[in-house]
Amino acid sequence: MQLQYVLLLAAALFCIGIYGLITSRNAVRVLMSIELLLNAVNLNLMGFSNFLDPAEIKGQVFAIFVITVAAAEAAVGLAIILAIYRNRNTIDMEQFNLLKW
Amino acid sequence: MLDSFSQTIWLVPLYALIGALLALIWSPGVIRRTGPRPAGYINLLTTFLAFLHSILALREVWQQPAQDLRFPWLSAAGLEISFDLRISAISVGALALITGLNFLAGLFAVGYMEMDWGWARFYALMGVFEAGLCGLALCNSLFFSYVYLEILTLGTYLIVGFWFPQPLVVTGARDAFWTKRVGDLLLLMGVIALWPITGTWNYSDLAIWTNTWAKTVALDPFVINFVCLALVFGPLAKCAQFPFQLWLDEAMEGPIPASILRNSVVVATGSYVLIQLEPVLSLSPVSTFTMIVIGSITAMGASLIAIAQVDIKRALSYSVNAYMAFVFIAVGVGQNHAALLLILVHALAMSLLYMSAGCIISNNITQDITQLGGLWSRRPFPAIAFLVGAAALIALPPFGGFWGLLELTNQLWTTKPILVGVVLLVDCLTAFNLIRVFSLVFGGLPKQMTERSPEVLWAMVLPMMILTGFSFHLPLVLKQFNIIPSWANLNHSLALLLIVSSTLGSSLAAFLYLRKEQPKPIQLVPTPLRELLANDLYIQKIYRITIVALVGITSKITAWVDRYIVDGAVNLVGVGTLFGGQALKYSTTGQSQVYILSIVLGLVLIGVVFWLYFEPVLGF
Repeated sequence: MQLQYVLLLAAALFCIGIYGLITSRNAVRVLMSIELLLNAVNLNLMGFSNFLDPAEIKGQVFAIFVITVAAAEAAVGLAIILAIYRNRNTIDMEQFNLLKW
Repeated sequence: MLDSFSQTIWLVPLYALIGALLALIWSPGVIRRTGPRPAGYINLLTTFLAFLHSILALREVWQQPAQDLRFPWLSAAGLEISFDLRISAISVGALALITGLNFLAGLFAVGYMEMDWGWARFYALMGVFEAGLCGLALCNSLFFSYVYLEILTLGTYLIVGFWFPQPLVVTGARDAFWTKRVGDLLLLMGVIALWPITGTWNYSDLAIWTNTWAKTVALDPFVINFVCLALVFGPLAKCAQFPFQLWLDEAMEGPIPASILRNSVVVATGSYVLIQLEPVLSLSPVSTFTMIVIGSITAMGASLIAIAQVDIKRALSYSVNAYMAFVFIAVGVGQNHAALLLILVHALAMSLLYMSAGCIISNNITQDITQLGGLWSRRPFPAIAFLVGAAALIALPPFGGFWGLLELTNQLWTTKPILVGVVLLVDCLTAFNLIRVFSLVFGGLPKQMTERSPEVLWAMVLPMMILTGFSFHLPLVLKQFNIIPSWANLNHSLALLLIVSSTLGSSLAAFLYLRKEQPKPIQLVPTPLRELLANDLYIQKIYRITIVALVGITSKITAWVDRYIVDGAVNLVGVGTLFGGQALKYSTTGQSQVYILSIVLGLVLIGVVFWLYFEPVLGF
């Protein structure tokens, strides 16, 4: 068990999250991908905290903040999706292209 | 106080200029009610004042050494341009000639321009010419000679284009301006190139420089030849020498009083500058050779062309070319004295011939000598004036032309005998041409155009007869001033040759054109040759297919390049920017996921750059 493996796993999770963020057509899945990204970040924070700063574990404090803010962000995100859904009757990301050129 | 007139001689050009300015008040747009005639009278008055002043000054400066006046004009760093005047017998004599002829031409115009409303413009331009010519005559600086020549070029443009509603007048004025302008520009090159070599534009200093410095310093013959050629080419166009002779022919579209002045005096401006430059030109054998060759070609060509003309003004104008060519030959062989004498006699004789022609044209309407005839019995004054003018132009003693040509040939006789042949031939041809014109206009039977031909107004006859009288007296005047050699010192065989050539030409013409049995029109030479000469060697077509075509095509190409390539390149930038904006706006797709993708790509890019940049430092 080494820091690198943790970081690589987090990076892989981040990339999967990015992939999902860019390719998903469902807006909820986009939010889910964002959660994946945030979790990847949390993994990083935990890893660094464990291996580099075991005394003060500031990374863990950061992770708690991130989880909190992620929850709030997901709530607001779902509210936005709901608001759009009420207007447009769909949550297909490809239908939300009104603000172009 | 004895020489007060010669000290104020610089006023003479100003009289004319004041006359010119005052004349403009009577332009039809300014004084609308009382007609333009006072413009002419004022101009005559100022011209007469100028003439009087010149004559009085001439009395003072005669046999006196030349005096130089110098006014600083421009003083910049390292360049002092001064306005130099020379008061000598020659310059003041030239003033008297110019103002005198201008007065007579102005008086002639009072009659000739009787039915014309453009007196203000006409007399203003005559005044400008007089002022410019007087300025040039007094000027002792090559730089200011150039300035005067340019002003006179503009004056020529305006006065040839006097009756501008006529299309041929407009093209003639255009050609006169351009042709003389080309010569002026070549002269300007020479003038500017002369400065670093000599460091002076003053004619007297140039002569001193030639006699002292030029002998001691090794001048690059290449440079001095080119500079001298440029200095020759300015007067070449001014004097309507080959191949710049077309403008003088087309300038015959102008009013005849102006032609009087132009053909007698204005074309001589170039040769006057040439004469003053003679010391410099003598440094370059190439330029003197060019002068002699071009002079000979023009003299022979123009006198042949003159014989093939049917327009009386044009038939005379080609003799002007021929006589200016004599001046070129004279300067080419270094005979300034002969050149000045030739200018004097030519100016008087030619203005007399033009006045006579003007008297005929004025009330016979046509200028075509084949339609004129039989005027001798009814128009004796112009006829006598024409004969006297002809005699004064060709070598017929005791008239002036004989002395001018004798002076010229006297030196050539020992140095360049071929040129004596040229002079004799041209003299013979000119005599033939003048007597041909005389016989066709005054001899024979009246034709339709000349059946009723009354004598013209006194204002035209009077100056003509004054000039006739002066032409008679010219030999006496010359003798009085010891300008011509006495009969005992003459080269008698040469004098005889000249007389024979003139007599031969004139009697041949008289025999051919006055004989009743001779069928008219006379066919002397095969038709193609006659056509060639009548069309001035097709010089207009030659201009058109060479230089005009070259400039025309070049300017079309340049305009095309400008419009499509230069403008196109600049417009392409604009169009490219527009296209870029129009095309790149589609990068704003409206899909937030695409924006995220572009953010990610940007991050990757930053990462790559970061890595490439810090990799060597940190050694990842």
